[in-house]
Amino acid sequence: MLTAFVAVTLTFFALRLGGGDPTDSLMAQNLVTPEQLAAVRATLGLDQPLIVQYASFLAGLLRFDLGVSLFNSRPVVTVIAEQLGPTLRLASAGLLIAIVLGLALGILSAWSRNRLAADGARWVSSLATGLPVALTGILVILLFSATPLGRLPGPGLGWTRGLLLPALVLGFASAGAIARAVNTELSRSRAEPYMSAAAARGVRHGPRLLWHALRPALPLVISLCALQAAYLFAGTVVTETVFSRPGIGRLLVSSILQGDYPVAQGLVVLAALIYTLSQVMADLLALLVDPRLRGSS
Amino acid sequence: MRRALALLIPLLLASCAAPAASGDSLRYGLTLSPSGLDPHINASSELTIPLGSVYDTLVFQDSESGEFVPGLAESWEVSADGRQYTFHLRQGVRFHDGTAFDAEAVRLNLERVRDPANLSQKAASMLGPLESVDVVDTSTVVLRLSRPFAPLLDSLSQVYLGIASPTALARWGTGEYQFHQVGTGPYRFVEYIPNDHLTLEANPDYAWGPSVYQQARPHFDRVTFRFFEDPATRALALESGEVDVIGEVPPHDAERLASSGEFLLQAVPIPGQPLQLLFNASRAPTDDPSVRQALLLSLDRPQIVATVFGSQSAVAEGLLSASTAGASRVVPADQYDPAQAAALLEAAGWRLGADGRRARQSQPLSITLVVPPWGSNPEAAQLVSAAWEELGVEVDLQVAPGFGPLKQAQSTGEYNLIGVNLFGSDPDLLRPFFASEGLYNWTGWSDPELDALLVAGAESVAPRPERMALYAQVADRVAAQALVLPIRDYTNLVVRRTGLTDLRFSPQGWNPYLIDLQPAP
Repeated sequence: MLTAFVAVTLTFFALRLGGGDPTDSLMAQNLVTPEQLAAVRATLGLDQPLIVQYASFLAGLLRFDLGVSLFNSRPVVTVIAEQLGPTLRLASAGLLIAIVLGLALGILSAWSRNRLAADGARWVSSLATGLPVALTGILVILLFSATPLGRLPGPGLGWTRGLLLPALVLGFASAGAIARAVNTELSRSRAEPYMSAAAARGVRHGPRLLWHALRPALPLVISLCALQAAYLFAGTVVTETVFSRPGIGRLLVSSILQGDYPVAQGLVVLAALIYTLSQVMADLLALLVDPRLRGSS
Repeated sequence: MRRALALLIPLLLASCAAPAASGDSLRYGLTLSPSGLDPHINASSELTIPLGSVYDTLVFQDSESGEFVPGLAESWEVSADGRQYTFHLRQGVRFHDGTAFDAEAVRLNLERVRDPANLSQKAASMLGPLESVDVVDTSTVVLRLSRPFAPLLDSLSQVYLGIASPTALARWGTGEYQFHQVGTGPYRFVEYIPNDHLTLEANPDYAWGPSVYQQARPHFDRVTFRFFEDPATRALALESGEVDVIGEVPPHDAERLASSGEFLLQAVPIPGQPLQLLFNASRAPTDDPSVRQALLLSLDRPQIVATVFGSQSAVAEGLLSASTAGASRVVPADQYDPAQAAALLEAAGWRLGADGRRARQSQPLSITLVVPPWGSNPEAAQLVSAAWEELGVEVDLQVAPGFGPLKQAQSTGEYNLIGVNLFGSDPDLLRPFFASEGLYNWTGWSDPELDALLVAGAESVAPRPERMALYAQVADRVAAQALVLPIRDYTNLVVRRTGLTDLRFSPQGWNPYLIDLQPAP
């Protein structure tokens, strides 16, 4: 909760001290007089001292009132709620892909007896961490518009370009980090005495991997996934732009560029909330899968 | 028999539901997702692309002649002192929701625009010194101004002052109306999901189109707009068949698509100010006219424009781009003369040192250049800086990340050149830039005679050609001081499938006449 509060406070002041006056962009195409400008500032409460604006912002926050967008007079909560659905769908599909792909690549690189497959998996995961989403996104669109898959009909973008491809691009970027963690943890547990003991007891390669080696690695992998969930949320900014999808990533960029403070702040509140929630959920999940953690607490 | 009837009835019903036999739909790519879509309140040029066909305006402007022709107003008179406009309105016009159009609707719309609580970002200032709107009878409305305002008809011909249904305005209120817009135009507003899509449907009752439209009825039943903010995805959207038309295609993509034979490229000139840099005449060293002149002469502008914008954009030669009323050529494209530029600097005492830099009394010749991030300003500014470095000038190039930071940089005064420009079809847009007390007087120049010319232009009641001649004088005075460095006349590169013809635009250049679009025979 403290994290969320600090993030929100920092954003409040950073936006106001660094971004210029929102009336400048609000009135950018307007040939206004200084008197009209002063009237606009008074309407928006921008003539108040910063600390008074901050207090009224916090008071609103307690009532879940995030204020009104400067550019279209609609409640910030409504503006964000409209764009949240597509982003949640994209981010959760991306996370699922990241976990599945990350686990597969990690296991393959650490445990495959086939040297080529192991090296290949390592290469792919390095590529995944290294390539920016902006590049993979364009590459994927190019690839798919050349094939029948990219020409699927349907409303809007259709299912493939609407969700599958952006989720793949987003998930791929996070899969690299997960794969590396899985690889490191598996390589470590492989050297543990209980692995030799299991082998000596005649446990086969497959079960030994899944039950004996992977299980102790899970808490770390889960907390990494939680971190990746927050990262994915950030990754949607680029993915949404490249794929022309609606969502809060694009909303964040446009609201910051235009100086629509109330919307930008509302999005930071939401991001802080999501970050905190994913950490709490990761801790609970870790408790569930790892009995050692339960014992110590 | 019964079976035959059972077959026939659904067929009949189906034909009633779709009155336009074609059943075609069109997909149009937009390039930015506006922060708001209310034409009375929001300011983006992009919103006029769909909404130009949702609303009719009191008058329309003919792109070729520049004359104003009847729209929702059948005729009008302007009083001799230019302060009173009387509009006689067309009768029998209905909004898409069935509400009748009348003088009271006009009054309510203009009052909504003027209401300070609605924070209009553009439309309100387009009304100039409007004092009151009086309804004389159901088909006559009078606009009274506190001073003459020559751009008024130009303003009233734009979507920002389109007439909306008073019923819908009252029902939805300021924030929500943008999702439920109701006009009298050839297309009806169906749905808008921000960042996703916007849908229009043909208005089957449309029978009051202005003479600027070539067709009486729209061919396409349905037009869906989608947003492609990343410039790199626009050509792909055309090639993968997601859109039939899209604007603002990057120049090299546009040329490639056009040469493929599957697409047609239309370079649409956008009136207003060109991409330009303004000199700060109140800060050294650009307070010296010979330094400004030298910086101008040392630039090969045609080369810069060709490198950044390809072959489709014209080199800017005036305060207004060539397609704007009142434009004149005052900074010729072929004036590039680096030898003369160097000579001017030498004469002003800026001597070339052994390190290739110029200095005067051990003071280096250095300038600060601030540009906005949009419209390829940074790319053009880089080439400009390189040319000046060549001349021995030290250049500090700064990119301000948005209009707010640009304004902030301007208010500190710590710049020698700054990039800013506005679009518009009336030359009065120069007034805030070059009048001494203008909001955008970023050159810091003050000249009472120039002020008088700009006011005379804004308040002129003379015929159009006489008024436009005033702006030639404005341009001459500004160019004589070398206050402006015009670079490129803004050109919107619109690419469409070869299967579409008659894509025509309003004089502002953004808004297509959707009603005229036809499939190729």
